[in-house]
Parts: sequence; C-alpha cells; structure tokens
Amino acid sequence: MKKLLRLLLPVLTLSLCLAATALAAPRTLTVATDATWPPMEMVDANKNIVGYDIDFLKAAAKEAGFNVVFKNTAWDGIFAGLDSGQYDAVISSVTITPERQKKYDFSLPYIDAGQILVVPKTDKAAKLADMKGKKVGAQIGTTGAFEVKKVAGLELKTYDEIGLAFEDMAAGRIQGVVCDEPTAIIYALQKKEYKEKFKIAGKAFTKEAYGICVKKGNKDVVALLNKGITAVKAKKIDQQLKKKWLK
Amino acid sequence: MLENGKKRIEVGDGAAIPTKKDMGLFTAWRIAFFGAIALLGWLVYYIPDPYLTILKFVPDGIVVTFKVTVGAILLALVIGLIAGLGRVAHNPIINGIASLYVEVIRGIPLLVQIFYIYYALGRIVKVPDMLSAIIAMAICYGAYMGEVFRAGIQSIPKGQMEAALTLGMSRGQAMYHVIVPQAFKVVLPPVGNEFIALLKDSSLVSILAVADLLRRGREFASESFTYFETYTVIALIYLIITLFFSKLIGIMEERINAGR
Repeated sequence: MKKLLRLLLPVLTLSLCLAATALAAPRTLTVATDATWPPMEMVDANKNIVGYDIDFLKAAAKEAGFNVVFKNTAWDGIFAGLDSGQYDAVISSVTITPERQKKYDFSLPYIDAGQILVVPKTDKAAKLADMKGKKVGAQIGTTGAFEVKKVAGLELKTYDEIGLAFEDMAAGRIQGVVCDEPTAIIYALQKKEYKEKFKIAGKAFTKEAYGICVKKGNKDVVALLNKGITAVKAKKIDQQLKKKWLK
Repeated sequence: MLENGKKRIEVGDGAAIPTKKDMGLFTAWRIAFFGAIALLGWLVYYIPDPYLTILKFVPDGIVVTFKVTVGAILLALVIGLIAGLGRVAHNPIINGIASLYVEVIRGIPLLVQIFYIYYALGRIVKVPDMLSAIIAMAICYGAYMGEVFRAGIQSIPKGQMEAALTLGMSRGQAMYHVIVPQAFKVVLPPVGNEFIALLKDSSLVSILAVADLLRRGREFASESFTYFETYTVIALIYLIITLFFSKLIGIMEERINAGR
C-alpha cells in the first residue's frame, strides 16, 4: 500500500498542479481558418495569418478573456476537422446556412456579406443567369458553389482555393467566378495581375451572415464567443476593422 | 517417399511455390474484388442514405478518372518507348536528351508537375483542363515507363542483336523485329504496375478542378458533411477499378506466357 502511494503521489500532485493552472489560466481556443480568402483571412509576406476575421476574433478574445491560436486548414474538410475535435472553432468567412446549422452550432453573426460574380472585362453578363452554357468556378463546398449549382444550364467547376479559380479564368478556361464580395473586390479591382482583365458583374445576389462555427452542443465555447462578439460590436471595434480591411 | 506417405519435395518439382490454381476459389484477388463489391452493395442496400445518394453522385467522376487514366497510359507508353529506346541508343545526343528527360521528370513530384503544366503553362498556351491533366500524367509516367523499357531491352542477351545483324538486318530492323517483341514479355508486369499506380495517382488531377472521382466525392462530402461515408464509397470504387485492371493485366500476362 505504501509503495503504491509512493508511486501515485507524484502523479496525483502533478495532475492537481495541472488542474490548478488550467483553472487559473484563461482558456485557449484553437481556431481553424482557411487563409486563402483575402481580405477576410490570408497569409501575409511574413507568413502570419492576417485579415478581418483574424483581427475580429483577436479583439473578441481580448474582450471576453480567452486566448486564440489560429490553425491554417484547407477549406475542403474544415468541418470534418471540427467533427473530429482537431480544433474548437472555425472562423473562415463561414456563412450561417440552415444546412450547416443542423450539423454545427454557430456564434452570433459578426459581419454580413453576399455572393458576387466576377467575369472577364469583355463579357457582357450581369448576373448568373446570363452565364448559360458557360463554365463558372467557385471554391469547393462554399455557398458560392451552391449558388452556381442552383442555376440550371451552367457548368460548375470547383477549386481547392479561390485564387486557383481566378488563375483559371485568367488562362481562359472558365468564364466566371463566384465568391464573397470582399474577396471578389480584391481579385477583380485590386490585384494588379487581374485589374486589367476582370470586372465585377452586377451586385451581390445573396444576403449572408458570417458566424463562428463550433461543434454541435459545445455551448460554453459559443457563450464565450458571443460574449466577445457582443463586446466588440458595442465598442464599435468592428467598424474600425471594416475601415482597415474592407474599403 | 517419406515414412508418413508424403512425397518429399524435390528440387525441380515446382511444388514448393504454390501456384495460383492451388488456392482455387479463394485467391487474394477474388477475396478483395468480390469482397469490395459485396461491401459496397451491402452498404447501399441496407443503409441507402447517404450511401446510395453518394453512389448516384459519382458516376461521371468515374468516367473522367477512366478517361484520364487511359489517355495518360496510352500517351505514356509512346513517350516511354521513345525514352527507353533513346536511353539505349548509341547516338550521344539522343541518349543525352532521353537521359535528361528521365532524370528531370523523375526528380519532380507529380503534383508539382501537374500544377506547373496546368497553371504555369496555362498562361502561355490555353490547353483544356482534361487534356492538360492527361499530358501532365503522361509526361511524368513516361519517364518511369522509359526506365522500364530500357531495363526490358537491356535484359535481352546481346547475342540476339548480333545474330540479327549477322542476318543482314539494320539496327532499327533488329530492334523492331527481334529485341522489342522479346522485351515486351519482360516489361509487361512492371508496365502493369505503372498502370495501376497511374490510375491511383490520377486522383491528384482533382486539384485542377477536373471533376474526377475524388473531386466528385469531395464535392459531395463538403456539401452534405458526410465525410466518413463518402470516402468509404470512394475508396471502395477505386479498389474495385484497380483490381479489375490488375486482373486484365494478369490475363494478358498469361496469354503471352502461354506461348513459352
């Protein structure tokens, strides 16, 4: 018995210490993001993950008193990783949709966006329905891809990253790309390789709200995120971030 | 004969290595092939949602995978034969070019090559996506095939070439009529091996937005969030296709060896 106790004692004290530090230290959330979606989330020249979403969550974490560690993850399968518990949450321009709400829990919406069509300057199309018989690209598993699929008569091509879709349009293999409005603005109006070639066709044709996605039933994380989001909105920090990232 | 009535295995009897026929119905191939079909059938029949939906979603992807694989293999065979003959050629320039091709292509990962040919060269020449996928696969596998063909040609004894030359054939004629037909038998198993490897690697072209089997599966999974079920179906389909081809190659080998 004594021997057993002597063996167990260090283990017990160690686990108690760990438990104590865990209680005292602020909670750390590991958050996945697909950093290929400027200006919402991207990798800058110094290999840091930056963008509106990143700054927003950092501000929210400061307000609600938790730490965030970002993890750059491919979009295709980002929800599968959430399922298997590789991270606590996903902030990656995730539109809150009824289908996603069935499988996952969402924080309060933190910004609004919409899908928009980008076409070569020579094209006369003003909306998706004008693209009949043409190939339209979108990132795999995004609301943009779902929207293209809804329109009959056009061929959807799905890409792993939205940048590859624009590259393919520059090479002339597809005639349109659908993505979120802020991202479209970057690729159509600001990137110097594409500025001369592409234009935005018409206006955003969906109304969407982004939320932070967590595993179903993970109530305490949702509560923590909501506390942060509410505080950031109340202090109007999100307005400053919009000025910084979305012009 | 031994005391217990069993025959002693003598060298040359050929009984020590079990032949395929010894195992009767239960060859590894049969277990895997029909097992995979049975498992897929069972899943679809008893758990139709989402397995049946997935199975209905992917057939055009299977067709694309098929087209890319067959197109690439045919092109790779041609490139490989040229590269292989170039590698055994006595002309230093031809030999040099063939060796350079093999060394360079073999040293670059297939995924990088696919990206390069599609996106980098796509800026200069506009090649349709399926064709550029086939070209990328064929260029990569042509290098491996070239080495297989070189090994096959070099495995034919020198005397064969000398005999053909003595009969008054030119080097080219000797290659065409004597060496290559013999080498063909030798290279068939490794070529079959490359074929199966290419079929599986064709899944890499899904990165090019070519709607092959893997991409169709990923599209389905990312929309319905049924990752486990989707990739189970995709894995089983790939397995069934590769096993089907491995049997086809096996039959070809038997046909060719029957003449020996």
